[in-house]
Amino acid sequence: MTALIELDGIVKRYRTGPIEVLALRNLTLTIDRGELVAIIGPSGSGKTTLLDILGCLSSPTDGRYRLDGADVSALEEEASALIRNRMIGFVFQTFQLLPRHTALQNVALPLLYAGAGREERERRAAEALADVGLADRMTHRPNQLSGGQQQRVAIARALVTHPSLILADEPTGNLDSTSGREIMQLLTSLHRQGTTVILVTHNQEIADHAPRVVALRDGVIVEDRITAGARVQ
Amino acid sequence: MDLRELILDAMRNLTANTLRSGLAMLGVIIGVTAVITMVSIVEGGRQRVVEAIEQLGTNLIFVSPKTLTAAEQREFSGRSKGLIYEDAQAVAAQIPEAGHVAAMISIPARLRRGDRDFTGTVTGTVPDYQIVRNFHAAQGRFLSQEDMAQWRRVVALGRDVARKLFGESDPTGQEVKIADERFIVIGVMEEKGSLHGQNYDEMIFIPATTAMRRFQGTDKLGYLLVQVAERRGMHQALVSLEHLLTTRHNGVTDFDTHSQEDFLIAMDRTVWTFRLMLGGIAAVSLLVGGIGIMNIMLVTVTERTREIGLRKAIGGTRRVILYQFLIESVAISLTGGLIGIVSGIGLALLLGKLVAKAMPGQGDWGAIISPTSILLSFVFAVAVGIFFGLYPARKAAALDPVEALRYE
Repeated sequence: MTALIELDGIVKRYRTGPIEVLALRNLTLTIDRGELVAIIGPSGSGKTTLLDILGCLSSPTDGRYRLDGADVSALEEEASALIRNRMIGFVFQTFQLLPRHTALQNVALPLLYAGAGREERERRAAEALADVGLADRMTHRPNQLSGGQQQRVAIARALVTHPSLILADEPTGNLDSTSGREIMQLLTSLHRQGTTVILVTHNQEIADHAPRVVALRDGVIVEDRITAGARVQ
Repeated sequence: MDLRELILDAMRNLTANTLRSGLAMLGVIIGVTAVITMVSIVEGGRQRVVEAIEQLGTNLIFVSPKTLTAAEQREFSGRSKGLIYEDAQAVAAQIPEAGHVAAMISIPARLRRGDRDFTGTVTGTVPDYQIVRNFHAAQGRFLSQEDMAQWRRVVALGRDVARKLFGESDPTGQEVKIADERFIVIGVMEEKGSLHGQNYDEMIFIPATTAMRRFQGTDKLGYLLVQVAERRGMHQALVSLEHLLTTRHNGVTDFDTHSQEDFLIAMDRTVWTFRLMLGGIAAVSLLVGGIGIMNIMLVTVTERTREIGLRKAIGGTRRVILYQFLIESVAISLTGGLIGIVSGIGLALLLGKLVAKAMPGQGDWGAIISPTSILLSFVFAVAVGIFFGLYPARKAAALDPVEALRYE
């Protein structure tokens, strides 16, 4: 397997008012193509900061980040927007769906920024919705969908550009356990189809789904273990 | 980037909160409505005045005696007789551009017929007056050359004067007394209305010769009207006229000349003052409207911070976000502008009808909808949307995706 993500000596420093926070200290991590990795840690451990850097939403203060072989440590805003659009799919705890858009329009949004034509956008968005089992909910708006369904729309939106990497930030945090399990099944099946999935969680039970768990504490990796017998259902 | 999708998106956001969008565009609506209405009314008024001026003959030059200062009076005394009847004849004979010339003499007088009377101004003039002023007899006839040659005591009455003295009966051939002299009514003038404070329907016309010999005792003129045959000849006619009269007056310029053009120019100046004032009102109301839009857009950007964060996370660039919010503010101002244009036209037509009702016989519409004002309103509405939308849109575009996504 080849490395999709290579983090080398990543440091992230924040300044909130007069206080300087060192969120990540010299973090080095490699994730291969096709892996399903859970990043766990208590709040303040730096896992969200790590997710932001992995998603090219912010740049590291120091160190090098190579994504699919290319150095993305210090990209210009336009270039990082392009990387996010083409290579990364985001899934958020709060779904982040646009309330006035239908499921189909929400899913099609990344394709709009990719410059795809209207027909192509609608066709691919419909396919992505069908892939997450929502073929019959395309014209529904978020408030007409259950939490689990909304998160599945968000996953379809993450998948629609066929990204190399799916980043999920507490994807089950706002869901009941049944819906949460369904979402985890969906993410696991994506992984089995070959997509690289990184999920950030503080929920141990969720992390147990992942074959590899990376634990953070105070901005450093304290554990990186392969759970051979991951509960893959 | 798909512009159509951006516009659709903007429309979705606007219609999602109709009350707020409506209030945001209210400033622009009111501004554009006010400007279109007022411009149309002013334009209508201007048009009516121009028509009225042109109704009273075209290509006219007015010659009137100058009010002299004491020093000028001393200097000129004995050299010039002032503006006299022979001057009018000389102008008609010696200036080729002068098509028709009307000598005018004004005499205040009281008219009586039985127990009815009318106090006004009697005008002594010549047959050509009706051509120069485009003012004809509706009943009977106007003054003739024979009336002039024989100093006849005949009179043509303005419509209102005829009504006052004769009621509904036909005055032609009847007798009236003007300052105790008996005159025969030969005609009644057509209805003309008022312009520049002169009510043409209250005019009373007698031959200029009669006025000079029987009333005035001198051949001094009140003023002289010269109609130039062609507009192109106006300037030449003015120059020749001034030269001729100055020569005739022994080098004394004791007269003033005005062309009808001067009146039109003076009126245009007044209209421009109005236009500038309206422009000022438009600018202020569009400014206020623009501030309203900026305010709403700033609120929108804050409210939709997380949406902006998401759009950036999934690949929306700074530029696309900027365009999205700019299009939204332009959509507000443009919709406001369009509503303003429609309501402005409606209001102008309504007010025009009221004006037309208040001043009957002045044409159907008191308002003229000028395409320029519509086009300008449209352009300014868009400009306001861009100008006042730019700051909020830049603010949105500059948001940090990490902070925006987790904004509470």
